[in-house]
Amino acid sequence: MASANARKCTEKTLCRGQTEEDDAEHEHDSDCESTSSSFNSSDCSNDLEPEWLDDIQKNGELFYLELSEGEEEAALASAANQGVATNHVRFSEKEAEVITEENKKQRCSSWTKGEPPLKRLARILRRKRRPSQRRVGGKDGGKDNSTLSSPPASILKNQPGQRQGVMVQQQQLKEVCVYLNPKRLGGSSTPLSDSGGLLEALLGVVHRPSWSRGQADSAGVRQEERLTVHGLIPNSPAIKCGQILIGDVLVAVDDVDVASENIERVLSCIPGPTQVRLTLETVAQVDRSNASDTSSVHKTKASPPVSQLVRLLWGEDTAELQMSIRHIPHIVMYLSLKLDSASPQDEEEILYKYPVSEASGQLKRVRGIFLTLSDMLENVTGGRILSSSLLLGNQLVHVGYWKQSNNLLVIGLPADRVPLLYLQTVVGDVVRTLKVMYGSLDSAFCKADHAPRLDHFFCLFFQQLIQPSRLRDGSSAPTPDVSGTLFLDGLPAVQWLTLPPEIKVHLWLTWRWILFFLILSLLILEKCLRTFFGLRRLYVILGSCLFYKSYLIANHLPKDDLLDVCLYCQHYCLLPLASEQRVGQLVIWREVFPQQRAKGSSTAPGYSQPQGRHFLLIVGLRHFMQCVLLEAGGAASTALGSPGPDCVYVDQVKATLLQLEVLEAGIEERLNAPSAPCLSCADWFLPAATARDRLDSLASSSPVFSKIASAVKGSSTGNRGRSLFGEKARRSSPQRSLSDSGSEGQMDAGSGSGSSMAPGLSPHSTPDSGRKLGGRRDSLGSGGSDGSGGLFKIPRMKHPNPFYLGTLKKTLTERETEEMYNTMKLTSGAENTLFHYVLMETVQGIFIAPTNREVAQLSGSIHPQLIRNFHHCCLSIRAAFQQSLPARGRRAADRPQGAGWGLGPVKEHGVLFQCKPENWTDQRKPAPTMTYWVIGRMLLEPVPQEFYVCFHDSVAEVPVEMAFRLSFGLAF
Amino acid sequence: MMMLQHGSTQLICLTASSGVPLFTRGASKQLPFSVIGSLNGVHMFGGGQGVVLSCCETEGGGKVVWRVFQDSVMLIAVSGGEQGGACSSKEEQVRLQRLLENVWSCMVLVLGQDELTNVRNVERLKRDLRSCFSLIDQLLEERQEGIMGNLTYCADSLLPPNPTLLQEAVDGFAQAADSEFSCLIVHGRIAAATEKWWRLAPQEVVLLSALLRSLSASGSASCDYPVFLPQGSPTVAHRLLRFQLLPGADVCVLCGPTPSLHRAESGLVGRFWTPLVETLRDCLAVGERCLPGSVSLRPDVLALLLINRETRRSVSCVRTSTNHLLGDPLLPSKARCWELLKLFYIFSTTRYFTQEEILCALPEERAQRGNTEDFVLGFSHQPLQCYLVTEECKSYGLQTPQHQLFLLIPLSVPTFALRTVATQTLSDIVAATGF
Repeated sequence: MASANARKCTEKTLCRGQTEEDDAEHEHDSDCESTSSSFNSSDCSNDLEPEWLDDIQKNGELFYLELSEGEEEAALASAANQGVATNHVRFSEKEAEVITEENKKQRCSSWTKGEPPLKRLARILRRKRRPSQRRVGGKDGGKDNSTLSSPPASILKNQPGQRQGVMVQQQQLKEVCVYLNPKRLGGSSTPLSDSGGLLEALLGVVHRPSWSRGQADSAGVRQEERLTVHGLIPNSPAIKCGQILIGDVLVAVDDVDVASENIERVLSCIPGPTQVRLTLETVAQVDRSNASDTSSVHKTKASPPVSQLVRLLWGEDTAELQMSIRHIPHIVMYLSLKLDSASPQDEEEILYKYPVSEASGQLKRVRGIFLTLSDMLENVTGGRILSSSLLLGNQLVHVGYWKQSNNLLVIGLPADRVPLLYLQTVVGDVVRTLKVMYGSLDSAFCKADHAPRLDHFFCLFFQQLIQPSRLRDGSSAPTPDVSGTLFLDGLPAVQWLTLPPEIKVHLWLTWRWILFFLILSLLILEKCLRTFFGLRRLYVILGSCLFYKSYLIANHLPKDDLLDVCLYCQHYCLLPLASEQRVGQLVIWREVFPQQRAKGSSTAPGYSQPQGRHFLLIVGLRHFMQCVLLEAGGAASTALGSPGPDCVYVDQVKATLLQLEVLEAGIEERLNAPSAPCLSCADWFLPAATARDRLDSLASSSPVFSKIASAVKGSSTGNRGRSLFGEKARRSSPQRSLSDSGSEGQMDAGSGSGSSMAPGLSPHSTPDSGRKLGGRRDSLGSGGSDGSGGLFKIPRMKHPNPFYLGTLKKTLTERETEEMYNTMKLTSGAENTLFHYVLMETVQGIFIAPTNREVAQLSGSIHPQLIRNFHHCCLSIRAAFQQSLPARGRRAADRPQGAGWGLGPVKEHGVLFQCKPENWTDQRKPAPTMTYWVIGRMLLEPVPQEFYVCFHDSVAEVPVEMAFRLSFGLAF
Repeated sequence: MMMLQHGSTQLICLTASSGVPLFTRGASKQLPFSVIGSLNGVHMFGGGQGVVLSCCETEGGGKVVWRVFQDSVMLIAVSGGEQGGACSSKEEQVRLQRLLENVWSCMVLVLGQDELTNVRNVERLKRDLRSCFSLIDQLLEERQEGIMGNLTYCADSLLPPNPTLLQEAVDGFAQAADSEFSCLIVHGRIAAATEKWWRLAPQEVVLLSALLRSLSASGSASCDYPVFLPQGSPTVAHRLLRFQLLPGADVCVLCGPTPSLHRAESGLVGRFWTPLVETLRDCLAVGERCLPGSVSLRPDVLALLLINRETRRSVSCVRTSTNHLLGDPLLPSKARCWELLKLFYIFSTTRYFTQEEILCALPEERAQRGNTEDFVLGFSHQPLQCYLVTEECKSYGLQTPQHQLFLLIPLSVPTFALRTVATQTLSDIVAATGF
């Protein structure tokens, strides 16, 4: 943070330094120093107005998102690269210039780290700058500075067009996207008027009116005051984008025509950090820029540097995104069931609808169906309507319903995006999110002024479901698969990051400690306020939770509140946003209506929970994001009207986040560490042509391997189950390392006919011993917590794959090897066969799964497919669990015997999949295959859990045991 | 307050163009006319707007499924919720969709497509449709346990102890009757049939079996019944001759005008089937087990459904509790086993295993079936096996290129042994019978 601020200051110094006279240097430098010291001393800039203050809306809500500098630069760099590529064709010197520019940037950043006096830096930079300009000017050569004089010689482009009559000039328009952040100007104390105003300060374009006038005079024609670019300010958005060239004329900003009279006004209208599109008139040469060049120029306007998601969150430009899915039928409507027949106005029953497109219009026209069905079916079948399926042309659309008193929420989604199995969950989540945000559906939809915000809400909703990849494009994250998003978002839980104990303790202590002081300081503050000003406004902090890169790392919110908060975050994509180094600063403040609290007060007649209003404050800095739930009223004073965020709270929360940044290294280490429990990559089990090297190394390590296998077998003779697995694994592992691991024939031999398993299994097939075995396995599971802490103690291994631990293992005794081996693995048997897992703990509302980075480390071509498949299968498994949930309460006693019971409560459900490598070219041999299980298990004891796991087929696994092993290692 | 009882299904048939009700079947209490009218109305309204309503679900598992056949007949199935809550909504939906298809095919089978599509006199059509009622009721109520064909579109078969003898007899009988289509039905399941019989569309085979069951339930020794084949010849009727050989064993032949019922009964039946009475008795003794004694099932198989995907035949059986583990009270009853087997079949096939006729169908038709979703197609890798552990028993499904096997296994068998049980059962049956 400090360094970032310092850099900001440098920037400012540079701007001013370059444009102003030398004699002004001292005061500015001192000014700068004071600013920077204030930044450094109190990171939360108490003395300054916070940047987000202007963004607070009338109702007190705030959604302020600012990208981090690094992110902006990265985004711009990519844009600049494209610019370079296109310009390179045209201007040969350009490349060299850009390189020096980069050098400067590097130097600049190295200085800021070392905190040298900014004065010197600025002076040095200025000195460097001048000669280089002159040099370029000289190189441009042949140009008579006295006649053309006025525009400073171009640093970025030759201006051969201005050579007299040598070439034909052609005016071309080009569009350039730049990212502007007016908030950066906030700290500046210099009046803008004396310099180039906002055009310079914000955009970094130097325009000297006098110069152009002079030029115009020389031409003898009184020109309109066009905004010719006379210079560019280093490190400004204009220069960073690399496409604004000196000599260009700024014609329009976001399609608003600009000239020197109105430019300041236009720029001052930019409310917050945003991306604007500049239209520039540039000079192109007919002879040098042929057709291909012009096309390449036009291409540059594509690829906006900021991802669509961020733009969507900023609330710009939803039309384009909406256009791209207009042919896909989707709709949300809130319909009134009470029709006033006296006033037969058209469409009066539609209280809200989104979007307006042809496909959705078709759905809108048949709203009569939804109204009639919801009204009638309740009487026919005795239950409220949940869903219907419609066919629009060839497209199947599922419509989900939610009835609230006299109104009906209807959401239509294409079947290929949301399977019917999961529609209910999706609709339920939307409704809950809306309720959290607005209190009830009625209050959300029935207020006219909510419409734009709801449009935004549902735009996000549909975009996430229908074209998630487009939303994320421009970001580094892998495109999420729809099933995965559906499944993970649909879980009533948040992904929890398991941390090594020492970090965990540290984190916990620090966080608690900070929160304690936070509360204390607030109390003191409140007392002061009350004493001196008679003010009373205080919120009671109900709890807060802390995210790091989209993973929950600490929480002391009750489960239901956590889920409410998490639903909000999920809906606004805040979690992935934070994980991709996008957030410079995020401040969200709004009133929320936690569902449990709302319910609790109404259901308990004797004890009424203090009725208060609740506010959610989310503050994000870099990768950290803290959500705080506050209560006003009840114990605290009652909030009146719609209070906006209080700087004190925001700053305090920000302060805790800054304090926590010391932990970042530790958490990063955990994220970078190989996954614990170990994961295998699917590709390792499938010898494809590309995976030869893998196979070789695997074969070379196999002696170690079999040794381990035998060790496992030898030491665990007391346990029949274990020895069974060991035996089987020992048999299968040499096979795998020798030849095609899972070719069809071997699979059949190994497991298909059951011949190899049958002798071992026959004793268990009688029910008695089977049950006993199950019992012992359970006790083993709980006793097996010896590996519990250890499960995560060894995550600093360099190799994610136990296959490659060969060298390490040789130095250990066999016993140790075995222990280490067992602690790292979730699966039994010699090889690590675990591909993926999700363990959800329903009491606390958290789940653990391998992090994105852990999955990315495994790479492989089949593996991503496998994970997609896993998630798709989990949708089905979870739906099976969900179906049986309402029935689970009833026991066998009042269960209707015979018909009408469905499949009954599902405890465990598994599916065996077979995969083949894609593009198998070898005609002679059949493609090798690999089979793996996806198993879901619902556990009620000791704590309700749902466990989904995916592992290779070679070892028979008992999911309960795996879940135990995993959950004991976590110490939830 | 609701109009339909839990667990009951009502079938409504109307003319598609005018919405005149043709008949309603099922459920003790008929839905009020206003409800029928609006159910039809919403579908028609949607049709006018280019939106085809295909199904609807309510809390508690209630379902409504619409379908229009040949632009002439609209069928609506309404199923009341189940007491157990929303346990099997998806399964129920598939069941109802199959029901509608079967009912329509039934109507074509009995009346022919022409009469249904060119309705001149609605009153007469109503009267004619009464002849379908027994068949439709059979489909609705699923009276006979262990008949899965309505669902699987695979002919329920019985594997006789000595198939060659019966096969020869059926072939000879068909030839003598100047036909290529003939089959022997034992306990409502096909024990032997000519090759051409198997070449009929799977749904036709299933429906003809259903028709024969309902005909033989009437108790007559023989009958001559005109049938239209819904896919083979929906407009030209054939004669279906049926003769009872023994109680529970019937032979039938599908033929043109030539052999009169009398001639066939007096001349042919005796000639071909009298020598085989003992064989037939053996066949009848197989009973509902459907598998000959030579196949020894593992003791830990409660129920099984085996489908041959190529010949579109299926064998299914449920162990009676007497010969199984002393009638463990925790084991589900026989009726419940049949139900679980059906539900598990639908569960597996809608989610993981592909059904052939859905793959064959054109995309529009597939969508029209409302068999919707194609959840199966969402998988990037092919599902081979699946299992389910519920509070009552464990279920295991397995798919090979040739077969699909669905098993119910008691809870006492450990989960990791299920696969062995299934693969062994499959190989045992295939080895012993060549099914």
